[in-house]
Amino acid sequence: MAAIAFTPQVQRPPLSLFSTPKTPKPKTRVSLQPSSSSSSTSQLSYDPFVHQLAESLDDSLPSSSSSSSSSLQSLRDSSVQTVLSTPWPTRKDEPFRFTDTSFIKNSQITPISRPPSFPTTPDDTQFPSLDIVDGFLVNLSNLGELPNGVFVGSLLELSDETILKRVSEFLSTSSQGDLFWSINGIGAPDLTVVYVPAGCRVESPIYLRYFANEGGDIGSPKLPLSNPRVLVLVEKGGEIGVIEEFLGGDGDKAYWVNSVLEVVVGEGGKVRHSYVQNQSVNAAHIKWTSVRQESASTYELVEISTGGRLSRHNLHVQQLGPDTITELSTLHLSAGDQTQDLHSSIVLDHPRGYSRQLHKCIVSHSEGKAVFDGNVKVNRYAQQTDGGQLTRSLLLAPRATVNVKPNLQIIADDVKCSHGAAISDLEETQLFYFLARGISLEAARRALVYSFGAEVIEGLPYPWIKTKVESQIKELLEGSS
Amino acid sequence: MALSVFHHPSLTLPSPPPQPSPPSLRPSPSNSLQFTLPAPRPLLLLLRSSRPNRRHSSLRAGLSSAVDSPPQTSGSQPEKKLILQVRDLTAVIAESKQEILKGVNLTVYEGEVHAVMGKNGSGKSTFAKVLVGHPDYEVTGGSVVFKGQDLLEMEADERSLAGLFMSFQSPVEIPGVSNINFLRMAYNAKREKLGLPELGVFEFYAYLYPKLELVNMKTDFLDRNVNEGFSGGEKKRNEILQLAVLGAELALLDEIDSGLDVDAFQDVAKAVNGLLTPTNSVLLITHYLRLLQFIKPTCIHIMENGKIVKTGDISLAEALEKDGYEAIAKPH
Repeated sequence: MAAIAFTPQVQRPPLSLFSTPKTPKPKTRVSLQPSSSSSSTSQLSYDPFVHQLAESLDDSLPSSSSSSSSSLQSLRDSSVQTVLSTPWPTRKDEPFRFTDTSFIKNSQITPISRPPSFPTTPDDTQFPSLDIVDGFLVNLSNLGELPNGVFVGSLLELSDETILKRVSEFLSTSSQGDLFWSINGIGAPDLTVVYVPAGCRVESPIYLRYFANEGGDIGSPKLPLSNPRVLVLVEKGGEIGVIEEFLGGDGDKAYWVNSVLEVVVGEGGKVRHSYVQNQSVNAAHIKWTSVRQESASTYELVEISTGGRLSRHNLHVQQLGPDTITELSTLHLSAGDQTQDLHSSIVLDHPRGYSRQLHKCIVSHSEGKAVFDGNVKVNRYAQQTDGGQLTRSLLLAPRATVNVKPNLQIIADDVKCSHGAAISDLEETQLFYFLARGISLEAARRALVYSFGAEVIEGLPYPWIKTKVESQIKELLEGSS
Repeated sequence: MALSVFHHPSLTLPSPPPQPSPPSLRPSPSNSLQFTLPAPRPLLLLLRSSRPNRRHSSLRAGLSSAVDSPPQTSGSQPEKKLILQVRDLTAVIAESKQEILKGVNLTVYEGEVHAVMGKNGSGKSTFAKVLVGHPDYEVTGGSVVFKGQDLLEMEADERSLAGLFMSFQSPVEIPGVSNINFLRMAYNAKREKLGLPELGVFEFYAYLYPKLELVNMKTDFLDRNVNEGFSGGEKKRNEILQLAVLGAELALLDEIDSGLDVDAFQDVAKAVNGLLTPTNSVLLITHYLRLLQFIKPTCIHIMENGKIVKTGDISLAEALEKDGYEAIAKPH
C-alpha cells in the first residue's frame, strides 16, 4: 500500500507537545518568519550556516554603484537583514514539515558569480524571448514587435524614469517571503523586468527560458546556486502572457536554482502565466511566485512540474481589490526519487472575489513524493467570494507518498466556497473499458495516467508548449513504469 | 497460445484453421445437445440453440454423457460453426459472493441472432459481463467455449481480441482520452494481434470515416473525450461505432435500445442490422419487442433467477409484450 498522509483540517493542528499555545513571534521586527510558524526553535533565530551563506552570496556579487541598481541594492540590504534573523528551515517548521531541504544544506553551496559563456540555441518560436542562464539575462530575441511603451529586459538597461520609479515601488516591499525569498534578494545579480503600460494588450506571450549552466557532477558535493529574479508589472487594463520554462540543462548535474517571480496586475489587467519546470533529476529547484492583484484583474496560472530532486513552489496571491479573478492549476509528476511540493496561499480581502485552484499530482515511483499545502483565506470583507479548491492525487507505486493539506479559512459569512481532496489509484471501471476493447492493461494504465494529467496540460494557452509538455510527461511515465 | 481469429470487414483473413477440440466440450452437430423447437421457422439461420437443460442436474458431473444426447432431427442442414457454448455457468458477485448466475446454458452458432429477455435483476446483464470477464463477478462453475477456446481462461483483453464484443449498458466516461484515440488504440491492438502494422492517425481516419455514417454520427464526436458528457443516445451510438470499427464474431448487445428516442433507435437498429453478416453472431439483451422486429432473432431466451427458463421464437417476445413475464415463465 502506498502511504497517505492526509490532513484535510481547516485549522492547523498543534505541532508538538512542547509548543505553548501562543508562541511569541520572533523577537526581531524585520523577521519574515511567517506568523503561522510556531516552531519551538523560533526563539533561536540566528543560524551560523545561513550567516555564512549570506556572506558568500554578498561576496559573489560586485558592489555596483550605478544608479539604476540602487533599488537592487536596497533589496539586497533589506534581504541581508532578514536572512540574518531567519534560520534554515527544518522539518519542525510547519511550512517544511513534509519537505526535507537538508540535502541542500549538506552540499557545498557555491553562488555563481559571473555571467556564463553559454551558447543558447535560438528557440524556434516567434515569440519575444529571454534567456536567463544561471540567473543572468544573456539573450533577448524577437523583441521588435512589442507595442510601444512595453519594456522587456534587464533593470540595468532600464532608463525610463517613470518605469524605474514604478519598479522600485514594488521591489523589496513584499512581506510574505521565507528564507529562500530573502536569499534570492541577496543573490539576484540582476532583475529582469517585463513592463506593460496602461491599456496595452500584448498579443504574443513573453517566453522566459531559464538555463542552468554550471552544475556539480554526480557524487560531487558541489551545488552551484543561482538566483534568477523577474518582475512582471502590468498597469491598469494591460494584458500579457508569460511563459516560464526551467530547462534541464546537461544530463543530471546538481545545481540549485532559487528563483523569484513577482507579478503585479493593475486594475482590470490580465496575466496568463505558464510555468514549466523540467530541471535535472539532481537539482534543487525552489521558486517563489508572488502575485498582487488590483481590483477586477485576472491572474491565471498553469504549472507543470516534473523535474528536480527537490522542487518547491511557493505561490502567494493577494487580491487587493474587489471583483478579482484568480485561477490556478498545477500538475506535479514524481516519476523518480524526488519531491514535488506546492505551497500556495490565496488571500481574499475584498468583495466578489473569484478563485479556482486545481492541484493534481502523480507519484509513480516508490521513492517519489508530492506535497501540497493550499491555503485560501477569505477575510472579513471578502463577501460574496466564490472560491473553489480541488486536489487529486494518483499514487501508482507501492510506498509512493503524498501529503496534502487543502485548507480554507473563512471569516466572511456570505461566501460560496468548496474544496475537495481525493487520493486514488486508477479507476477499475475505466481500466475495464479499455480491456473490453482489446487494449492491454499496460496500455490502458498509461492512457489513463496520462489523461489524469491532461486536464491541467489542456489549460496551457499555447499549442506548442502543450505539445512539448505532453511528450515530456509521456516519456517520464514510460520510463517509470 | 490459443488460436484467435476474428472477422474484420476490411481485412482479408486466411480461411480459419480447423478448430482444436477441447476434450468432450465441443459437440459435433450430429450429436449436439439439441431440442428441436416446436415450430422452426424456415430460415437459413435455423436455430440450433440449446434449450436450457435445467432438468439434467447431473450435467456438470457428466458432460460427456450430456453430449451423447439424442441426435437432432434437423441434421440435414449445412454444417455450421459453433461460436459459443455455455454450460451450467454459475457466477457470484465478487465482493458479496451473492450468486447471480445459477446454471446458464446457451449455444450460439455462426450467423445466429439470439435475444435474451427477462425481468430486471434476472441476470441478463451479469451473463453478458461474465462472458467478457468483468472483474465484478467471479465464475464459480460451468464452462464457456468460444470458438473452440476455453473463454474463462482468457483475460478480458484477450477475449476481445478473440472476437467477443460487449456493448456496455452504461459506458463509463473517460476524461482526457479522446474518442478517436481510444478507437485507434483498440483497432491497433487488434492489428497487432494479427501481425499487421499499426495505422497512423490519417490512415485510421480514412478507415473510420465511413463507419461514422453507419451510426449517423458527426466527426466532431471523435474529438470529444470518450463518453464524456454524451447523451444516452450518443453513448449507445458510440458503442455501436466501436463494434463497427473492431468487428466481432459475437457481439453481446446489452440493452442497446434503452433510453433512445425514435431517431436514435432507428439509427442504432439499422446500424446493428448493417453489421450482421452470415458469419457473425449477436446476442441481444432487451426488454422490448420493438428491437426484435428490426433485428430478426433466430431465437429468444427468457431468463429468470439466473437461468434460462424458456427458449422460443419471436412469438415468445410477442406473448411477453402482451401478457408479461408471469404468464410466460410459469413452469408447465
